[in-house]
Amino acid sequence: MDLSLPVIHIQSIYPQMILVLFAIIVVILPLFVHNLKRELLALISVVGLVLAYFSLINLWGQNLTGFNGMIVGDNFSIAFSIIFLVGAFLAVLLSLNTVENEYLNYSDFYSMLLFALVGLLMMVSSTNLLVIFIGLEILSISLYVLAGIRKMRVDSIEASLKYFLLGAFATGFLLYGIALLYGASGSIDLVEIGKYIQANGFSGTFILAGAAMLLIGLSFKAAFVPFHMWTPDVYQGAPTPVTAFMSAGVKGAALAVLLRFVWTIAPLSKADWTIAIWIIAFLTMTVGNVVAIAQSNVKRMLAYSSIAHAGYLLVGVLAGSQLGQASIMYYLLVYTMMNLGAFGVISYLGNSNKQENLNLRDYRGLGFKHPFAGLAMAIFMFSLAGVPPTGGFVGKFYLFNSAIQAGYLWLVIFGVMNSVISAYYYLRVVVNLYMHEPEKEVAVPKASLGLSFALLIAMVAVLQMGIMSSSYFEFFRQAVIAMP
Amino acid sequence: MVGELVPILVLLAVAVVIVAGIIGLTHLFGPKHPDPVKLSPYESGMEPVGEARTRFSIRFYIIAMLFVLFDIEVVFFYPWAVVFKKLLSMGSFILIEMLVFVGLLLVGYLYAWKKGALEWD
Amino acid sequence: MEQAGYAFVDILIVLAKVIVVIGINLLMVMILTLGERRIAGFIQDRYGPNRVGPQGMLQPVADGVKFFFKEEVIPSKAEKVIYVLAPALVLGPALLTFAVIPFGGPLSVVGKEIQLQIAELNVGILYIFALLSLSVYGLVLGGWASNSKYPLMGGLRSAAQMVSYEISMGLAVIGIIMITGSLRLSDVVMHQNELLFGFLPHWNIFLQPLGFIIFIVAAYAETNRVPFDLPEAEPELVGGYHTEYSSMKFASFMMGEYIALITSSALMTTLYFGGWDFPYVDESSLGIWGVLLSIIAFAVKTGFFLFLYLWVRWTLPRFRYDQLMGLGWKVMIPLALFNIIITGVVMSLL
Repeated sequence: MDLSLPVIHIQSIYPQMILVLFAIIVVILPLFVHNLKRELLALISVVGLVLAYFSLINLWGQNLTGFNGMIVGDNFSIAFSIIFLVGAFLAVLLSLNTVENEYLNYSDFYSMLLFALVGLLMMVSSTNLLVIFIGLEILSISLYVLAGIRKMRVDSIEASLKYFLLGAFATGFLLYGIALLYGASGSIDLVEIGKYIQANGFSGTFILAGAAMLLIGLSFKAAFVPFHMWTPDVYQGAPTPVTAFMSAGVKGAALAVLLRFVWTIAPLSKADWTIAIWIIAFLTMTVGNVVAIAQSNVKRMLAYSSIAHAGYLLVGVLAGSQLGQASIMYYLLVYTMMNLGAFGVISYLGNSNKQENLNLRDYRGLGFKHPFAGLAMAIFMFSLAGVPPTGGFVGKFYLFNSAIQAGYLWLVIFGVMNSVISAYYYLRVVVNLYMHEPEKEVAVPKASLGLSFALLIAMVAVLQMGIMSSSYFEFFRQAVIAMP
Repeated sequence: MVGELVPILVLLAVAVVIVAGIIGLTHLFGPKHPDPVKLSPYESGMEPVGEARTRFSIRFYIIAMLFVLFDIEVVFFYPWAVVFKKLLSMGSFILIEMLVFVGLLLVGYLYAWKKGALEWD
Repeated sequence: MEQAGYAFVDILIVLAKVIVVIGINLLMVMILTLGERRIAGFIQDRYGPNRVGPQGMLQPVADGVKFFFKEEVIPSKAEKVIYVLAPALVLGPALLTFAVIPFGGPLSVVGKEIQLQIAELNVGILYIFALLSLSVYGLVLGGWASNSKYPLMGGLRSAAQMVSYEISMGLAVIGIIMITGSLRLSDVVMHQNELLFGFLPHWNIFLQPLGFIIFIVAAYAETNRVPFDLPEAEPELVGGYHTEYSSMKFASFMMGEYIALITSSALMTTLYFGGWDFPYVDESSLGIWGVLLSIIAFAVKTGFFLFLYLWVRWTLPRFRYDQLMGLGWKVMIPLALFNIIITGVVMSLL
């Protein structure tokens, strides 16, 4: 038997290793040191995030492949990883607020958050379908726990259970798709599968069925219509920081995998399944926006809005160009900022678990009583709606621009129409904040420093990305996957 | 490879015959005088109280879950152990790899222990 | 083998080996049922069964016949199919387990080399563990299907206990695999067939003392023997999982257990005490006598461990259940992991 050690390049997974290490520290330390404050645990997590960030920056431009090609440290993965790190950082800050003081166990919360981040990083930094799958499982299992971390609340348990059951179902699809692709092409590496498809064409029952199942599995995770049913209930029941992290992170990872898949397997100009993605993108935008109009619960409204945003992002996938990729990354970063910010304001205005003040009516007049939170919410809502001076506008512009250049004029027209629809329900929040008299006394506790800081960061970032977009966009231009 | 399993199949056939024979023969030979009291559940001669299909301690579930986790870890050790000697000649990488694995295993173990999953009372 | 596939004569040889092994196993079960009671008598300073035949030698036969003619009671509330299947699930895997254990050196008859081992699998150790973990199904299903409280408790206890100790047993054996570099039991035996430092037999017990202690404790727990016989603790649970069983179905449980004793004794011999190796003698140079010697060596060693089982049974008290689980999870598993680390470190230093 001939045995040889593979080339490892262990630095290619330094970010993941650092995060795992800190996740373990956060979960083990409280077992030995009692009565640790959650601020300290959050601080440890943040230290881990910062270290992981620097190790990621260190990898920039090196294009390392580690573990015999199982880990790909290209700029594409690093850019996505940084977006996720930012999301996790904001989620940690959000968790410091008073309304989040009824978790069962803070060490579990931070550790699971870090593990979920590890899963995200694994997913985007590989072309090997099994590694992607393992990353997805690390992510999903952590999120199942996180969604149900408010163990004493029925809706949190409901969210956890629903997410778990549907997620497990989606995982089955994904895995079956991987198996079919492997069966047809003889490899689980996307690059190898891509070569097979280049040689034999995007046809044959196994390849088509495998690709379709992979698409379905990822659609479940990213909440594309018609696989979005779980989203509102889960987003509503899960604790707000988790919802915020989930909406940006999982979507981003699923899109990254989809991009790699589309890019290496079936360059869209040649493939027949553009029509499938076209329909999914159209449905996702429209259903998300139309149903969001009818919501009076703010968290639920944001859940539907996140479905709609998944549709916008899918337009960039459809563009199938490097411009599209950069636009997706740009929009994902803006979306992370504005969405986490919006959820942060929800958390800010919540009182306790009994009284989360989630109804739109609770927001009446709060804009004047709480000017900081009101201003932040207004900015995030304008950005989500895509109103000019904000990052949301520029992001949408880039996305639609890339789609027009690829010749999808009608989809872009539908997209713009959807944006107009969405403006209605986003601006309704602003109207409630500033143009209505308060109906009842809403008690809002003093916000924590961490949360205020998070809102400030998000606000500044959203505005800065709107005004000085080109430097961000140039950064993401360097992160696209090279032409195959 | 398949040839190696033929003896197992022969043994399996013989074992099935023996087991079926034992259980079948006792059915043939034994007397049969059933009556309701004889066929009721045994509770030290008293009238049976309640049903046997009741709830039992949650500990058993926890043990079952921990078993699944740890048994999987044990299974991961086997292929490693088989190639250990051969790879040891190529440096201590394989040893360090195992130490990392055991370390991570111990973290989970410690967590279960400190959380009280291993306490029976 | 000269040609691919199986010749008629090979099948005959396999059949002969199978019948011999199962015959000896069943014979040993009979001897053990008698031996257990005679040794109990000796240890407790009284007679054991000594009326049927000379020195009670025919007692097991009488027992067996009686079991066949006893009434077969199936409780009215029991789940019939599973209730009948459970004893078969205990006895069946027990009979299969012995297949991969080499009980003697290779025998050469008219130019044909016959391995004294039913099947020489390259995954022998895994095969044994797979079958050992199957037997828990029989106990649990038997306890559950009886639909009665004592059997249910016995079944649950046995399940929790057996799975707990299975982990440390599996971990203990990893030391052996590391030393041998193979899962094949004949390789394990051949590896022990030399001398260590020139004077000790190269048995794994000298290389893996800690591993052996873990293994033997886990083996006692796996076979539900004293001091780990909680699943059938008479003072608490009447008879545990087999309370509701009668006639030969009850005997099947007993036989399964005794065969498991034999198998685990043979396994201890094979893994830690050189298998059929007779120390300081090169069996292969002695021809047919060497083979005979190796079989005798194997039988003596296995017999010793069987005797140890009986000896322990009548000497030690029983654990409390929380002590049992505490030992399994909090002592055995860390020790077993420690054993692996020590083995790895020492092997890399040498």
